[in-house]
Amino acid sequence: MSLVLISHSRAIGEGLRDMVAQVAGPDVRVAVAAGTEDGRLGTSAPLITEAIRWALADGPAGPVEGALVLLDLGSAALSLDLALEELSDAERARTRVSEAPLVEGAVLAAVQASVGASLDDAFAAAADAASMTKIPRN
Amino acid sequence: MPEIRLVVIDPTGLHARPAARFVQAASRFASRIVIRQAGREADAKSLSGLLGLTLRPATEITVAAEGPDAADALAALTRELSPYVSAAVVDAEAPA
Repeated sequence: MSLVLISHSRAIGEGLRDMVAQVAGPDVRVAVAAGTEDGRLGTSAPLITEAIRWALADGPAGPVEGALVLLDLGSAALSLDLALEELSDAERARTRVSEAPLVEGAVLAAVQASVGASLDDAFAAAADAASMTKIPRN
Repeated sequence: MPEIRLVVIDPTGLHARPAARFVQAASRFASRIVIRQAGREADAKSLSGLLGLTLRPATEITVAAEGPDAADALAALTRELSPYVSAAVVDAEAPA
């Protein structure tokens, strides 16, 4: 499976892709749809559609099971809805959208993907991000 | 359940990249593998669990494995973590 990172900021999207590659390794495919076509802050339905299609495309190792989509702020969901409408039923069926926080969800899902996890397992790993401790209470 | 005790020697603690390498290495084994620290326990195959332990320098951890490849798993994980931890007790049968 592969990841699709949606952010309002191109810098956040590209920076997170670098971070994911360093933590999870280079074998996890990560598509980014971040910022608008002209580089401003915002999200773009066509860029998201393109990113999901690229994430779902067959790779050197064969077919991809599906794509896990993560987003930074809820307003990106408006563009995402438009993007999902452009996909075929078959493409949509292989696309899962996560409620997880973007950075934590991407890293957790990518590490699971790097060990061959299924789309559902990666979705569950990303969901763990919501309850993950950051600041130890001891 | 065979186990090893290790001490975090990286002066900055156990960070995301080594933690991810550890999860990747643990995932190659069929055994159930856990990391224990100060009464807390995390699944070694889960990055959220491992990062949630927030392992600081000089922290002692126990890695325990249960399953058909438990001994191999512990040996491999000790190797994987070797830049960041040192062995506190290697002999699984040693009295506590």
